[in-house]
Amino acid sequence: MAAPDDTIHQPVRLRIMAALTALRPEDEGLDFARLKSLTGATDGNLGAHIDQLAKAGYVEVSKAFVAKRPRTTVRASTAGRAAFARHVTFLREILASS
Amino acid sequence: MTITPDEAGAMLADVDAIIAKVKLSRMYRRIGEITMLWGAIMLLEHLVGMAAPRWWPGIGEAGDALGVAATLLLLVRGRSDREVRIPLRLLGAFALFFAFGFLWSDLGRFGPRELSVFWPSLFLFGYALAGLWLGVAFTAFGVVFSGLLLAGYFWAGQAFDLWIALVSGGGFVLFGLWMRRA
Repeated sequence: MAAPDDTIHQPVRLRIMAALTALRPEDEGLDFARLKSLTGATDGNLGAHIDQLAKAGYVEVSKAFVAKRPRTTVRASTAGRAAFARHVTFLREILASS
Repeated sequence: MTITPDEAGAMLADVDAIIAKVKLSRMYRRIGEITMLWGAIMLLEHLVGMAAPRWWPGIGEAGDALGVAATLLLLVRGRSDREVRIPLRLLGAFALFFAFGFLWSDLGRFGPRELSVFWPSLFLFGYALAGLWLGVAFTAFGVVFSGLLLAGYFWAGQAFDLWIALVSGGGFVLFGLWMRRA
């Protein structure tokens, strides 16, 4: 049986990883505002969860100025994609074993 | 860590819902690009046609050919997507709409004024239909802008060409921009 991932298990972080891994690896990622609307998290909450995912090496964060406004873009790393896939497999196995 | 089957099921449903939203958003983005492309082409065709009427219909035909080629390019680029599969079906819909349009613009013996309303309203009808699957905004766009085109046809008088340029070209560009951000 696959093992759970403590970092991804938290609901907001699970949503963040689901959104980011739905993109192709070569895509630029999702910006902060889009992630906020997808996850339903507040600014501070989302920022903290993204920091935790970045510390685990699961996401890459880039900051840039677009039309003089700061823009934060987040994309899933290769390790993040693999960890998310393992965690989803773990969840499916629980469901299958019930 | 202990997770019950119910909790696992709820988490997986959450994951599936988020993935579906992202995919829909990416599809909106791609259709938005095509919509903006055709809006810009229609706007330019009409403005150049107003400035140099003797070049019409050559301008229109060249613009449409450019639009079809650029649409194909956008669709081919989209084919490298693993998850989003618009291309062949959308391409088929385009071909059918153009075939229907060319058939009836010939059989219908429309004048220039009727043709100017017919072509954009034909594609707006497609958006209105697509809205039944893709979201009410598509249907609203199709219906409202068709209404604006018809209003111009009946009441715009001398400003008809400018009205059509702004409503059809500008409308498609604005809706495409909205779709890219949706």
